[in-house]
Amino acid sequence: MRTVTLVMLLACTGTPAIFAQGLSDLDVTTKIVAMEHMWSQAYVLKDPKALERILDDAFVNVESDGKVITKADVLAEVTKSSVLQVLTESMVVRLHGDTAIVTGVVLIKGLERGKAFAQRERFVDTWLYKNGQWVTIAGLVTPIRE
Amino acid sequence: MKTMGWWLMVVCALSLSVSTQEGNEGSAATAIRAREREWVVAQSRNDNRALDLIFDDSLVYVEYGRLVTKGDYLSRIKRATAQLSQIVMEPMAVRTFGSTAIAVGIYRERTVQEGKVRVKRWRFIDTWVYKKGSWVLVAAGAAPLTE
Repeated sequence: MRTVTLVMLLACTGTPAIFAQGLSDLDVTTKIVAMEHMWSQAYVLKDPKALERILDDAFVNVESDGKVITKADVLAEVTKSSVLQVLTESMVVRLHGDTAIVTGVVLIKGLERGKAFAQRERFVDTWLYKNGQWVTIAGLVTPIRE
Repeated sequence: MKTMGWWLMVVCALSLSVSTQEGNEGSAATAIRAREREWVVAQSRNDNRALDLIFDDSLVYVEYGRLVTKGDYLSRIKRATAQLSQIVMEPMAVRTFGSTAIAVGIYRERTVQEGKVRVKRWRFIDTWVYKKGSWVLVAAGAAPLTE
């Protein structure tokens, strides 16, 4: 019986992420929210390194003008960022096993060509538990018109 | 011990189903494309029953800076007049990650308002999750293409 149990355990290498992580939904949510904040801060600090780990290599984002940008585009964009402050107004995480959907609203303040700007944006990001960590695989940003 | 064995079998069955998805990326992408088409057809027919099966209950849809839930989306379809808008899909890219898939593409929306025909192209990005034997839409968003 012990052998059978061991074989079954070995066969179960692809168990859902929650089992694999041994974390509660609340822990996972907290972790993802923290990474979303790191993502925002990367723009303020012009620090692409922080994003290397957060963004999956296959990451794609749809911008407000309908353009699709990749991980490489984001990393290049961050170094030239004109963002001075990102204020998170709301954020909700919905878990679907090893996938998480995050929606939220951010207020972005910055300076572009000497002119101050402030833009409220709604985003939706998809996170995936992959190789023992959460990475983001897709996103969409759209401006909120007041 | 018997209980432990049963529990392991259940977990194994779950993980094997995920592994099957992983080893079958081509067919998963085909299934997603079919689901995207079903969505368009259901929407054009104001078929809320079909949309209810395509959308996960926790679906979030984002457009024009607004967040739309499954309930909001279905009631909007219910109110809309059938055939007033026509959607034509252009080729899309589907990337699968086990039981999760991302579809990115463009669709053309033709609407008739006050006798005038308007055509707008949208870029969409959709997240699908394999749940209880079928792919369901958990998140979607679209942005108008500025050309």
